[in-house]
Amino acid sequence: MTLAVEFQKVSRHFGQVKAVDRVDLAIAEGAFFAMLGPSGSGKTTCLRLISGFETPTSGTIRIMGEDVSRTPPHLRNVNTVFQDYALFPHMNVRDNVAYGLMVKGVDKRSRLDRAEELLAQVKLAGYGDRKPGQLSGGQRQRVALARALINEPRVLLLDEPLGALDLKLREAMQDELKALQKRLGITFVFVTHDQNEALSMADSLAVFSEGRIAQIGTPADIYDRPATRFVADFVGSSNVLPPGLTRALGGPAAWASLRPEATRLSAAGPVTGTVTALRYQGAGTRVLLTLQGTDIAAFVPAGQPLPEPGSTIGIAFDPAALHVMEGA
Amino acid sequence: MLSDRASPGLKLAAGAGLAFLHLPILLIFLYAFTTEEKSYAFPPPGLTTQWFGIAWNREDIWPPLILSLQVAAIATVLALILGTLAAGAMARSRFFGQNQIALLLILPIALPGVVTGIALRSAFSMLDIPYSTWTIILGHATFCIVIVFNNAVARMRRLSGAILEASADLGANAFQTFRHILLPNLGTALLAGGMLAFALSFDEVIVTTFTAGQQSTLPIWMLEELVRPHQRPVTNVVAIVVFLVTVIPILLAYRLTIRGTEIAGGGK
Repeated sequence: MTLAVEFQKVSRHFGQVKAVDRVDLAIAEGAFFAMLGPSGSGKTTCLRLISGFETPTSGTIRIMGEDVSRTPPHLRNVNTVFQDYALFPHMNVRDNVAYGLMVKGVDKRSRLDRAEELLAQVKLAGYGDRKPGQLSGGQRQRVALARALINEPRVLLLDEPLGALDLKLREAMQDELKALQKRLGITFVFVTHDQNEALSMADSLAVFSEGRIAQIGTPADIYDRPATRFVADFVGSSNVLPPGLTRALGGPAAWASLRPEATRLSAAGPVTGTVTALRYQGAGTRVLLTLQGTDIAAFVPAGQPLPEPGSTIGIAFDPAALHVMEGA
Repeated sequence: MLSDRASPGLKLAAGAGLAFLHLPILLIFLYAFTTEEKSYAFPPPGLTTQWFGIAWNREDIWPPLILSLQVAAIATVLALILGTLAAGAMARSRFFGQNQIALLLILPIALPGVVTGIALRSAFSMLDIPYSTWTIILGHATFCIVIVFNNAVARMRRLSGAILEASADLGANAFQTFRHILLPNLGTALLAGGMLAFALSFDEVIVTTFTAGQQSTLPIWMLEELVRPHQRPVTNVVAIVVFLVTVIPILLAYRLTIRGTEIAGGGK
């Protein structure tokens, strides 16, 4: 299997700041790969290392097997959908999309025809004569997508592609991007700070923290078996149990994670605590309680009895659902 | 608390100030039409348009006019090339001594013209450069570059850097990015800067007196003409020409930069 993108001990330091620090990464060809992390975690710098706008301080970057560590952006066979899209304001939509072919010297007739084809692919046929300023956010995003695809890159990079869109549009675009990637069969690498977006779109993802990768895996790996407390906290919604509580609940004396969906309420639990809040969530209710000073969430499916806030109750779970994390 | 409305006294003072600034200019226009040719008597004894015809036929006006246009045009072209390049270097990269160099670039417009003039004059004589049209052009280019530089650098800073990256990302080399992305977005700023530079050069007197040698540009011709007693209104006719050649580009430049903000802001 060919690797679309490969990092070997790649670092990018800005003075004292280690934006990316000794990162190893392998993205399979045809993957829909997400780089997830809070701002400042190094995910965007990693994307810019792939596109060539940053050069590594040390380490090797390969794209489709070829060492591109020192190759400038315009000679790399990757294209980017920029955050805020970065459409050329003085050109109409068709010329924006055709730009990549124009700078290659493709004649006007064929490049504009090809631009029209791509506009049709992103459902913007007939918009070629408009200026970017006359389009909505969602339309601009499609133009940016068509523009980035015209050079037929082997890897498409997307920098917070859905960040500027409203919720409804974002969900529709998620499905569309996923379908587009399937149809084109090229590798998509996208950066996001939104864990739901990363988990629902990606085949596999890397969670970044402080310039390093905290965990790489499938969404299920990351969600069910977070490697560290950081991943469990950031990917969210999982309960993080300190060693003392894990032990009191029947596990080893180590940090562990426990999904709310796997947590039941039980009056007979080994540890009991006070119910602090109930949050109705449609398919059920999330019950928040405090056990030995730690906030724990349990999910109660609709139709089952709910405790009163302030009452005392314990929890129970299938021992297999308890995931012990490495490190502290 | 400060009042939003100015007091009548302040309004009066402001009005008087504006009148003091602009009434003399109206008088210049008025005297271009006077029948009195030896002194500027007020009110003019009569009105005539004959001076426009006389000025047209005066052969000593044409060489200074042509020289002034030539100098302004060439100094502007030089300023456009060098000012844009300097702006590119300043806006797109960070390097050691950058602020100092930026200050040096802007200095010629802050320096008194006398200082620039004397400095250039002594430099020319030290290097044995004979006075010519080119020495005038060089003198003017010193401050014309600043005008273009300031306009271009302001626009470049407002321009979203991402569109330059997008261009490189799509395979454009540095020259293609400059030609297809940067230049079109700088267009109005450069046009405005060029027109301002042209206007400044066209009516410049001080630096010119030090660098012109025996030649006269139009403003210098006017200075010399003022001390002569005959056909005085011809000078006023020329003044109207200078006024128009200078003010029209400045007004156009102003309108262009106002509209330019919308164009440059459309990047996001």
